[in-house]
Amino acid sequence: MLKRTKEDYVIETVIYLSLLFILFVTVYPFYYVLIISFNEGMDAARGGIYFFPRKLVFENYASFFSDSKWLNGLYISILSTVAGTFLGTFFTTMVAYGISYKDLVFRKFYMTVLIISMYFSGGIIPYYVLLREIHLLNTFWVYVVPGALSIFFVLIGVSFFSQISPSLRESAVIDGANEITVFLKIILPISTPFLATMILFIGVGHWNNWFDSAFFVRKKELRTLSYLTMEVINKSQLGANMSAADAGMRSSKITPLAIQSAAMMISILPVICVYPFLQKYFVKGLMIGSVKE
Amino acid sequence: MTTDFLFADNKKEIRLLHPVIQHRVTDGSEKIVLIKTLAKQKYLQAFVLAGMAYLFVFSYLPLIGITMAFKDYKISMGIQGIFSSDWVGFKYFLEFFNEYGFWKLVRNTVAISLLKLIFSFPIPILFAIMLNEISFMPVKKLVQTCSYLPHFISWVIISGMAFAFFSSSGVINSIALKFHFINEAIPFLTDANRFWSLAVVSDIWKDMGWWAIIFLAAIAGISQEMYEAAEIDGISRLKKIWYITLPSIKGTIIVILILALGKLFGGGLSGSNFEQSYLLGNSMTSEKSDIIQTYVFNVGLAQGRYAYATAVGLIQSVISLILTFGSNFFAKKISGEGLF
Repeated sequence: MLKRTKEDYVIETVIYLSLLFILFVTVYPFYYVLIISFNEGMDAARGGIYFFPRKLVFENYASFFSDSKWLNGLYISILSTVAGTFLGTFFTTMVAYGISYKDLVFRKFYMTVLIISMYFSGGIIPYYVLLREIHLLNTFWVYVVPGALSIFFVLIGVSFFSQISPSLRESAVIDGANEITVFLKIILPISTPFLATMILFIGVGHWNNWFDSAFFVRKKELRTLSYLTMEVINKSQLGANMSAADAGMRSSKITPLAIQSAAMMISILPVICVYPFLQKYFVKGLMIGSVKE
Repeated sequence: MTTDFLFADNKKEIRLLHPVIQHRVTDGSEKIVLIKTLAKQKYLQAFVLAGMAYLFVFSYLPLIGITMAFKDYKISMGIQGIFSSDWVGFKYFLEFFNEYGFWKLVRNTVAISLLKLIFSFPIPILFAIMLNEISFMPVKKLVQTCSYLPHFISWVIISGMAFAFFSSSGVINSIALKFHFINEAIPFLTDANRFWSLAVVSDIWKDMGWWAIIFLAAIAGISQEMYEAAEIDGISRLKKIWYITLPSIKGTIIVILILALGKLFGGGLSGSNFEQSYLLGNSMTSEKSDIIQTYVFNVGLAQGRYAYATAVGLIQSVISLILTFGSNFFAKKISGEGLF
């Protein structure tokens, strides 16, 4: 190691300070929502809370978990995330595995169909008409069925499965296993990096979904947590300094902003818990992609 | 039948891959061989056909629905209406061009993407270089891991945070007022002239760490020998960055830049312009926050002008498609490889 020059120290100081700034700017908004969600609503409306809750209370969360509207939203979000991720991951992997087989008859045709649908879309209105005609509008299934196949991940899967040695499959077939057994017992267990990346992206996509709820669903009992959060944010945006007098609030100490913060934290929490464990897969996966470039 | 054509297309592949089949193919019993091969792959074929059926319904049927952009279609007509309604040619397209807000929509759509290209594009590169320059791994890991958390957070949450920080009673205004930097609250969220900055800043905040991953990967691919040689020659840190790191990742930078150009009309590199404008924009900022994508929603789903909204959406997708393929063509020419 060579001696550090004065320039090195200057550069490193600048870099460390910049990274510290980036770290603060990235993390602080999350932290701020956290402390507001644990502070009494009326008190938080007075402002001046930056680092710690001034009046620590749990009633914002208590009120979230005792409101049937929010509980139902949470339930719908969990259900659609679990069902959608399971179906999406399974179906996408299946199709990708099938296409990745090099001797598959009509393989080129299938690839063409896939790539065309990636670049050409009918746009939102024909899509809406379609959902209406196949009676998916206003049902729970509109969250799950239309997203069951991710074209992007089919393509990633095809290149992933192509790297798996064909002999693995062949030897199992010779031993008398059929394709379904091979797929479930041999291919899926060794596909962790691909599956993990896909589960993360498809899962987060479902969890964050407010869009389908806003445009394809009218029934109140089908709203997702993300949609309800958006609704309450828009409401508090309209009456900027709205007080607790806002109709519908049970306790006078709970403001829309307080309950909004609690809802935001509940939406953020699963994502924060999941992504650090999966990051090694998606960072690696992306790296492979760009090294190939 | 189309299958004959497909079969002919696939014959070459079968021949190349199966020496045994090749022998039989020359015997002229092609159909039998095909059926046998298909029977062997029946499960795999079933997997893929299920996917194709899905694509037919959810991707190809909406493509047929585009015809309503040229027809006098009303939603009350049902699905048959798409075929039975009268042709009106380019009526809706002309209607859009003569629309009062037409230029405003085009301006906002392009300006927001372009501003993001200018301001949010260089920052991940700078961030990746900075991360690469520090040798203390725990800090590097911590900063990087935190930096792409916002990528996984929805725009709904970000609009809530924007409200908490930028509203007239939000954190930024409160602090600035307290220390007398300003005399009255700045209306970050309700002043139309500030919307573009808000869009760019929130975009940087959300996706800086995410895009840095790609550039970090490119930097990781640079041969260490170059740096070692430079060190022996006593070349300074800044010069190493300027003469080794940057030129080595030039290819990646150009590819991503050109792809971003392709997304100019489509919704920005991260495809986030719709959600941003819809969730961060409001009636007071609509002069600067309305883009073609939000317009399609408003006239289509809210006002029920389906045929007209389809036409507007079609114009946008056609321009996007031209830009995407065009930029990819140039990416291929320059770097030897595009994304498709």
